Amino acid sequence: MLSTLNKWFERFAETSFTNPERIYRSLFYFGTTIFVLFTLFPFYWLFVLAVTPNELISNMGPFPKGFNPSIFVTVFEQLPIHVYIFNSIVIALMVTFAVITLGSLAGYAFGRYDFKGRQPLMLTILVISYFPPAAFLLPLYRLLTGNLELLGMATPDLYNTPWAVAFPLSALALPFSIFVLTTFYQQIPDGLEDAARVEGTTRLGALYRVIMPLSLPGITTVGVLTFIIVYNEFFFSFLMTDGSAENWSPLVWGIAGIIFEQQYTTPYNLMAAASIIGVIPIAILVLIAQDKIVSGLTAGALKE
Amino acid sequence: MAQVTLDQVTKRYEDVTAVENMNLDIDHGEFICFVGPSGCGKSTTMETIAGLTLPTDGEIYIGDREVTNLPPKDRGIAMVFQNIALFPHMDVYDNISFGLRLRDYPQDEIDRRVERAADIVQLEGMLGRMPEEMSGGQRQRVAIARAIVREPDVFLMDEPLANLDAKLKVHMRTELQRLHKELDTTIIYVTHDQEEAMTMSDRIAVLNDGKLQQIDPPLTCYNEPDNLFVAGFIGSPSMNFVSGTLTDSGFESEHVSIEFDASALDVNIGAEVTIGVRPEDIYPTDDYELDTLTRTLTVDTEVLEPMGDEIFVYLLLDDDVETDLSGGVTPGQLLMSVGPDSDISEDETIEIRLDRSNIHLFDAQTGEAITHSLSTEWSDAKQQQDITQ
Repeated sequence: MLSTLNKWFERFAETSFTNPERIYRSLFYFGTTIFVLFTLFPFYWLFVLAVTPNELISNMGPFPKGFNPSIFVTVFEQLPIHVYIFNSIVIALMVTFAVITLGSLAGYAFGRYDFKGRQPLMLTILVISYFPPAAFLLPLYRLLTGNLELLGMATPDLYNTPWAVAFPLSALALPFSIFVLTTFYQQIPDGLEDAARVEGTTRLGALYRVIMPLSLPGITTVGVLTFIIVYNEFFFSFLMTDGSAENWSPLVWGIAGIIFEQQYTTPYNLMAAASIIGVIPIAILVLIAQDKIVSGLTAGALKE
Repeated sequence: MAQVTLDQVTKRYEDVTAVENMNLDIDHGEFICFVGPSGCGKSTTMETIAGLTLPTDGEIYIGDREVTNLPPKDRGIAMVFQNIALFPHMDVYDNISFGLRLRDYPQDEIDRRVERAADIVQLEGMLGRMPEEMSGGQRQRVAIARAIVREPDVFLMDEPLANLDAKLKVHMRTELQRLHKELDTTIIYVTHDQEEAMTMSDRIAVLNDGKLQQIDPPLTCYNEPDNLFVAGFIGSPSMNFVSGTLTDSGFESEHVSIEFDASALDVNIGAEVTIGVRPEDIYPTDDYELDTLTRTLTVDTEVLEPMGDEIFVYLLLDDDVETDLSGGVTPGQLLMSVGPDSDISEDETIEIRLDRSNIHLFDAQTGEAITHSLSTEWSDAKQQQDITQ
């Protein structure tokens, strides 16, 4: 037994000298497999928890202790998941739209316009983006719930509206987006913008018709990343809405809310099922945009 | 009708003055070339006309309108860029029709005009292609079609042929001239290639250090340059210069002296002057066709450059001078152009004469031209003396 193993190993070593391609390939598959297992395991685990009836969830091993696929229907009876998902998508779209619009304008200014104080201003934006978001929490809460007086007027009460979530998240997502879009817009040759302006656009028109279409990978990257961050966000939405679907609470808050509703048990299977359903929109989005995201991330990294 | 007028246009950047007090009057239908070395301000001047940069001072008129502060789109201009600048995300049709679509032309009008423009630059059947699928010359033609399709009052072309290979360049040059005749619009053309400027333009504007040096028809710039810069810049190979002083009897320098009646000129005796003579106005002594030649000069031939239709001969006035072929003619050296049958060889001593009627005299201080031809009566009398002696 030992000798056959020995022989096999000897042969393996020999072929790896004569044919190193083979060992590279096997190492590649080995690495990829481990990576895929690591990333997919949480989803598998969610699935295991979802299909195991809740009363059996304790000391869980790697396999489900029962099989209850009807949970994926039950979860809709217990929780308006579709409304939560809708809320999340609306808020994420609002933020993405704001970030791409404002980020493009800022990126154009930083990337293509020479003005005094450009460098310090860019640095300031980046520095602010490293502040912990929690630091802004109390002032933002007061501002957005109408508890602050600005110029003698009370700020509007945005509690339980999508705006209360979209405002702070847009502000938080902007610095990184400005940074990425600046690098992209910088790389568009001056001649193209000049050509567009001579042909009949304004500077903004050139941004919209020439610079932005040519920076599509960058814009997609910024858009998708922003969308995902907002879709997955819990912290600000937890404070700015009350957790009910009709009051614009997003998905993650809705799933977390399951814990608060039940007093004596925690319905892990419900939460797991809701999470799996909630991932679907993001998975579809990433599948559609993945080509652009990859080229966007690398193009930003390898600035010529 | 679109004449272009620049009135005292100045463009200053933080520490550089790119264009200084530029005054230009360009007539409708004229083909004007801006020439000059890199960094002379020719592109900046064009950008101020296009409106891509705003001048620090001065006014610009296109037609009867003042356009100094108008954005490029409202100036009635079209431009062809040095780097061609086609929009890479649009096909040829979209590129050409870009300006028309922005101006909301009706679709059938757009189609008609695009077709005609494509016809003029011979791009039929390529309207569906993307720029990346085309060769340099084809892209260039698309860029020109994009400019002509809007039927602008003024065409601006910023070194449009700079990135093309030599053969295509010559071809596109004739195309552009044909186009100019066909369209009857004003064309302002920037180039550093004086051959392009000489062959294509009605007038050449020579620029240096942000200042206009001369604006005249090509042959006037060649035969009667206003100053040392124009004299040296126009013409290839460039003019020979010898510096010296003006005396009662003419021009004196270490190696060359030429007799003429200096009192007839508007310049003081004893002034520092430079004479300029083109390579083709220097003749070996055995060539007696002309009766306006100077006295003979004894020189050594050094290097011969046979060009096929002519031979360039580098002549040494002084044995100490070392030839520097890279920078053209150095002081103490002359460049002569002789016919292809000449039997001159390297490293021999020969005698040459200059054509007096084509000797230019410049004030060495200001660089301004004093005269473009030395009096020939004087030379006749003198030469008679020489011969009788």
